[in-house]
Amino acid sequence: MSDKTTTTRRQTLKAGLALATLPFAGLIRQAEAQNRPLTKVLDFTTAADVAKAEAEGEFTFYSHDSEPAIAGILEAFNKDFPKIKGKYVRAQNGSLFSRVTAERSAGRFVADVIQFSELSTAMDFQKRGGYTAYVSPQSEFYAPEHLSNPVGNFFWIGVTFVGIAYNTDKVKAEDAPRDWPDILKPAWQNGISVKQSNSGTQFVQWFELRKIYGEKFWQDFAKLRPRGFDSRVQLYDRLAKGDDKVCALAEYAGYLLHKEKGAPIAFVSPPTGLPAGPLLCGVADKAPNGEAARLFLDWQMSLRGQKHQQTHPMLYYGSVRKDAPPMPGGARLSDYKLLAPKDLDAYTAARDTFTKEWNGMLGL
Amino acid sequence: MSATAPAHPAIAGPRLITGQGLAMALVIAVLAVFVLYPIYYLLQAAFDVGGADIRPPTAYGLDNFAALPKYQTVMLNTVMVALAATVMALVFGFVTAWILTRTNVPFAGALEQLMAVPYYVTPLLGALAWSLLGAPESGFINQLWRHFGGSEALIDITSPMGIAWVMALFEGSVAFVMISAVMTSMDPSLEEAAQMTGAGRWRTMLTITLPLVAPGVLGATIFVFAEMLGSFSAALVLGTPSRFYVITTAIYHFVSQYPPRLPLAAAMGVSLFAVMFVMLWLYRRIVMRKSYVTISGKAFRPRVMDVGWLRWLLFGVCVLYLVLSVLLPILTLLFASVQKLAVAFPKAANFTLDNFRQALALNAIKTAMTNSLLLGMITATLGVVFTGLLAWMIQRSRLPGRGVLEYIAMFPQAVPRLVFAFGMMWAWLVFPIPIYGTFWVLLIAYLTVFLPLGLRTISGVIMQLDRSLDECGQVCGASWGHRLRTITIPLLKPGLLAAWLLIFVASVRELGASILLMGPDSKVLTPAIVEAWFSSSSELTAAMALIQTAVIGVVLALFTSLTRRASRYGA
Repeated sequence: MSDKTTTTRRQTLKAGLALATLPFAGLIRQAEAQNRPLTKVLDFTTAADVAKAEAEGEFTFYSHDSEPAIAGILEAFNKDFPKIKGKYVRAQNGSLFSRVTAERSAGRFVADVIQFSELSTAMDFQKRGGYTAYVSPQSEFYAPEHLSNPVGNFFWIGVTFVGIAYNTDKVKAEDAPRDWPDILKPAWQNGISVKQSNSGTQFVQWFELRKIYGEKFWQDFAKLRPRGFDSRVQLYDRLAKGDDKVCALAEYAGYLLHKEKGAPIAFVSPPTGLPAGPLLCGVADKAPNGEAARLFLDWQMSLRGQKHQQTHPMLYYGSVRKDAPPMPGGARLSDYKLLAPKDLDAYTAARDTFTKEWNGMLGL
Repeated sequence: MSATAPAHPAIAGPRLITGQGLAMALVIAVLAVFVLYPIYYLLQAAFDVGGADIRPPTAYGLDNFAALPKYQTVMLNTVMVALAATVMALVFGFVTAWILTRTNVPFAGALEQLMAVPYYVTPLLGALAWSLLGAPESGFINQLWRHFGGSEALIDITSPMGIAWVMALFEGSVAFVMISAVMTSMDPSLEEAAQMTGAGRWRTMLTITLPLVAPGVLGATIFVFAEMLGSFSAALVLGTPSRFYVITTAIYHFVSQYPPRLPLAAAMGVSLFAVMFVMLWLYRRIVMRKSYVTISGKAFRPRVMDVGWLRWLLFGVCVLYLVLSVLLPILTLLFASVQKLAVAFPKAANFTLDNFRQALALNAIKTAMTNSLLLGMITATLGVVFTGLLAWMIQRSRLPGRGVLEYIAMFPQAVPRLVFAFGMMWAWLVFPIPIYGTFWVLLIAYLTVFLPLGLRTISGVIMQLDRSLDECGQVCGASWGHRLRTITIPLLKPGLLAAWLLIFVASVRELGASILLMGPDSKVLTPAIVEAWFSSSSELTAAMALIQTAVIGVVLALFTSLTRRASRYGA
């Protein structure tokens, strides 16, 4: 005789909730298993040895971000921990990767914390043993897909997502693009801009829209002779001055910054979704100032660190932290339909194809 | 039976180690370490066909060179723009140098000082300013043109000729400094002799002046052409919007993308050296055939030609060059730097001083400026000593293989800085003394990359120096060091000072090597300015570049006032 049991809705919900909390309970256990006592400092928990971190007195942050942005982060951290001074090395994502891998192969370990702007770069760095395994107690506030696999190498410090922007003096609202297929209109010939192939967000956009609309989408786009630039500032500068009519890789963060200056631009959030590129941060393996690096990482992952990422005008990165407050303008990241790569193997494998196709499209 | 050695006569035999020999050995050793050592790593990268970013390479081959034909459009673009820009820069440089050193143009002293200003300016600043002025849609000139009824764009600074124009405007002052150093050192008696025998002013200029300054002009041509091949900022700022790529901008994209394509970039850079090798070989063949001596034992002062009413026209030519290369760009950037969003027609609501406030608050301005100035002064001083000795060895010594030294010294000029910087990074990373990431590695890098600049400037003047002056000293029993101190250096003063000035300014505005080699404690200014352009705003960039220009201007004004007397012969 078999026991036939009926499952109530309440039981299902309970089981679901338990299942949902499993990874986080696991994360907390992993954080504790590092034999690192957890300390509450200011309003966040860290597994770093704060006294040791203060004795180290400094750390070096390698980042792709702009100088004012990095300086802003380090200043904010220094305000919370006046005994620890943050220094930095700044380079574009690819150059940063070359520099840090060259340093490591020469046996020189300078970087304490490293931040890349592209998921495949961070994954490659992880494969090379570039990160130290450190499970931050703050990891419980992040979904597993926003942490490295296995946990403890890097985390998504923020997300930059893109829609479409247009110059309101050059394009009437009724003619403006509303969704991604509208960027293929012949009217934008020689007047539409994107980023160069060194952009992680550009890679995500190419990957996601190709998945939705097929390969022909970008082939048709190439016929418009788009112009490629290195940074969001250049894209918005040109858009604001009317050099381009439409920007097909319009970061929301850049839009906010230029709108504040009074630029005649408008942002369109395509209903199909907004490609989103993560920024990835982790503690470097053999970091010379390991405790300061861990403390800085925990601070970055904490609510106060994430608030800084969301509100600093040079960043405006959306936070994927579950309890993150709304972004400037009132919207939350979860209010947008974001398109981020799920199949990471397919995504990393497509990098070379993207680079070749994109360089060719931009005339290189 | 043992032989007893005879007592030595009173006359001592030749000394095995002389000051001259020591100095030469030191120069060769430094050249080998500074140039050949990074070249080894660069060649290693160019032939690397192993796994990406695995050092040392796991396999070698020619695949990277075989891939170069795919980029033939980029190569052709590079040569076309570099040639056009070199011709324009030499015309600007030669004409203005001749006007200011050989004619009685009014306000020559002031104009001469101002002529170097375009060179003080970060190349990015010039490119940015002309982009604001001449972009087809938003350029101020085109906006005004359309405002007053014109249609389309009056000028397009993003076209290949527009890019060459901007490169030439700012490199023209390098040609001016190099050519005018030669013209200042020229004995006017030859020109006077020509005029006494009935030759007119123009014929004298074409048949006497021009051939005599040929080494200086050729040196400047090679130097300027190499600068144009390696020019980055103008091509990046102006070429990218029109999808026009040159080797340096292509290399920039290859090294900044992920995964970085360093081997391909290295192969591109190394292949540029082949072009420079041919140019240098031609230069050596030309200058070896003739004598270009103009500084002899006879005392002279540079002769100034009375050109009558034409002097006002020539004055206008110089002023026009200065307006286009200095005044207009600086005013444009000043105008942009006090706006929230740079537009042609000012509005009160758009006015702001925040860009200057932000620039002055940035760490880059506070500490990097000090580092940049200090590095500039040390590099210029050591660089003049080193390149002076090197130039003397190449031009005056009987050292076997001295021609090879010149080819080696020119290498850092021939390979784009962005690529050569990787060679330096790899080299100094594994160097047993831990200088990587410090102030000292930047000093070494600057001394290396500015070798060709110092060498070309000083060589042009040494060639004009009559050997007999040094030989006179030798006959009188003066040692090499004494002759150098009392004969050669005083006669070379204008050339040495010009070289100091050029190296100082080049160091302060250096970008390609600094961006990769500066460490967390050795930040310098220009990368921060370029960084601001990429990631902050063109208005903030304008403010930062203006501050940098002002500071360099003050330093140079001080330097000029201190050395004014020394830079004149007979003073």
